[in-house]
Amino acid sequence: MKRQATHVLLIEDNPGDADLVRLRLVEGEQSVRLSCVSRLEEGLAVLSNETPSLVLLDLNLPDCHGAETYRRLIEHSPNTPVVVLSGLNDEVLAVKAVHHGVQDYLVKGNFTSEHLGHAIQFAVERQALLRSLELAQKKQLEFKDQFLSHVSHELRTPLTCIHQYVTLLLDGLAGRLAPDQVDHLKTVLKSVNQLHAMIRDLLEATRAESGKMAIDPRCVTIGDLVRQTVAMMRPAADEKKIALKIELDGNLPLVHADPDRVLEVLINLVDNAIKFTPQEGTVTVKGCRVEADPGYVYISVTDTGRGVSVEAKTLIFQRMYQDPDSVDDHRSGLGLGLFISKEIVGLHQGRIWVSSEAGLGSTFTFTLPTYSLAKLLGPVVIYQDRLRPAFVLVSVQLTPLAKIQTGSWKETRRQCLETLRLCVHFDKDLVLPPVEAAGTTNTFFIVASTDLNESGVMTTRIREQLERVLDLKAKCRLTIVTTQINLPSTGTEQNLQQHVQAMADQVTGMILTTTEQDKFGSGRRPPISN
Amino acid sequence: MPNPKILVVDDDPALVRAMRLRLRANNYEVTTATDGYSAIASAQKERPALIVLDLGLPAGDGFVVLNRLQNSDNLCDVPIIVLSARDPQMNEQRALQAGAAAFFQKPADNEELLSAIRLTLSLGQGQQPAWPS
Repeated sequence: MKRQATHVLLIEDNPGDADLVRLRLVEGEQSVRLSCVSRLEEGLAVLSNETPSLVLLDLNLPDCHGAETYRRLIEHSPNTPVVVLSGLNDEVLAVKAVHHGVQDYLVKGNFTSEHLGHAIQFAVERQALLRSLELAQKKQLEFKDQFLSHVSHELRTPLTCIHQYVTLLLDGLAGRLAPDQVDHLKTVLKSVNQLHAMIRDLLEATRAESGKMAIDPRCVTIGDLVRQTVAMMRPAADEKKIALKIELDGNLPLVHADPDRVLEVLINLVDNAIKFTPQEGTVTVKGCRVEADPGYVYISVTDTGRGVSVEAKTLIFQRMYQDPDSVDDHRSGLGLGLFISKEIVGLHQGRIWVSSEAGLGSTFTFTLPTYSLAKLLGPVVIYQDRLRPAFVLVSVQLTPLAKIQTGSWKETRRQCLETLRLCVHFDKDLVLPPVEAAGTTNTFFIVASTDLNESGVMTTRIREQLERVLDLKAKCRLTIVTTQINLPSTGTEQNLQQHVQAMADQVTGMILTTTEQDKFGSGRRPPISN
Repeated sequence: MPNPKILVVDDDPALVRAMRLRLRANNYEVTTATDGYSAIASAQKERPALIVLDLGLPAGDGFVVLNRLQNSDNLCDVPIIVLSARDPQMNEQRALQAGAAAFFQKPADNEELLSAIRLTLSLGQGQQPAWPS
């Protein structure tokens, strides 16, 4: 046996049981340093300062009982192996504990010094193996990410060259071509575009897997995105004589989503629908609300293709899934589109699913959360079951002094938003998501839990920070306006949600007035290029 | 009025040739460089109206070129459009922060790139503020 000083922390309130453990360790001639505490909180305090090799844990402590004990311990120190000491010889409880990450479960009075020695040694070894396995997995994922990023970069270089020369020829920049030659080159270009899409999907899918996919949600009109998608996909539909229709409910609420990412999902679904629908078929994109699920907008893409089989329904959103019955012509991608779509929708806290009857087409539906100011405000404005005493709406307006290029304006906006988030109290003030569509926003709003007199501290901080970070004087004019938000007279628990809703409505009204003024109020608004 | 001059910087000579053809067809005068060092030298000598810059370059990475140009008194006004095969998630923000006017990932849509060039050049004229501050 390898003898190496092991530091064991025993958390046990019964002095008799603690003595027994000490005795067993001495008997086993273990080279163990044992420290003993009698409460879970003391144990956690030790673990905050030291890293013992292992914790022996009683489940019946003065300040914590049962499964909660190891749950809290593991949550506090996930890398320290835990062996439970219990008075109960309960196999179900023991298995549950092991499932939760406990390394072993010993019944008090039922173990010899040899048992205890092995339990400690093996628990330490197992935990170390587990850790190295986790690390290796993480490394592998990182390697895969880097590898694909590298490969994608390397593949793009020759692809760009092919793309350039094919389009040069097609655009007639290298002389006139015969109609046949044009057709052949169009085929090449189509394949180049497919290859391009595959490279992009490969990187996206890896990114989704390693949790590096990010979304930038804002307040979005879903109808605009649907119309944009349909306009983009119209040529492909026309080519197959497929009718591409839009059906949007009137008064669809705004959604809280990343417009670029949602566009990706929509394009993917419509593209698939067109691919799998025979000539003269119909593809319909719908947007509606469902009464039973008022917090979401439902967007669906219905086709008149041959439908999705029952087996495929469960597999279709998995990585690299290809329908085994599909005609070769349809297999133009890597089977990553729906996987990526599912990940994007998931990041928005939405759902995606397919319903289909064989031969009668299929409907892919996904949901996106509505943009609800009340939902965002709730956690910020309510404190200890009451509304905080006072609120103001701070509007921070950036007006470019000269024409600004889209790229640098986008960057200015991003930095501004980031700076504002650093200037507020994260638990009682809220920087609202940008309200307008990308490209034109120049007013940011903050709902702050403070009164008008005291808001000066915040606005000064915002002004100083923005001027420092953005070097504003040269680029923009900065206007900060603070307006009081009127509160309902009392905030009792029953109508608290109504009050938050009323506040949200009030804030929305104030925001709309300000942004309308931005748009139409001043004739001096400089152009922002798109 | 002479055609605006564009400096195309890319280490792939074949791509540079294709870009030259396309830009000339769109009434631009084109000058080229295939590494970071000659990109800076060429920018000094030729005084282009705009630079299309790749990021992965021998003898001075694209970011080095970007910073050198931005920090140079007489070249900091020349707008730069980055055209790179690199991942925008890692590089777009960095390029824009370093002063690029726009970022395009390769392969870029020809029309989109050309309209960005047109727009950037049109913005470059008339540098005075839209109104007195």
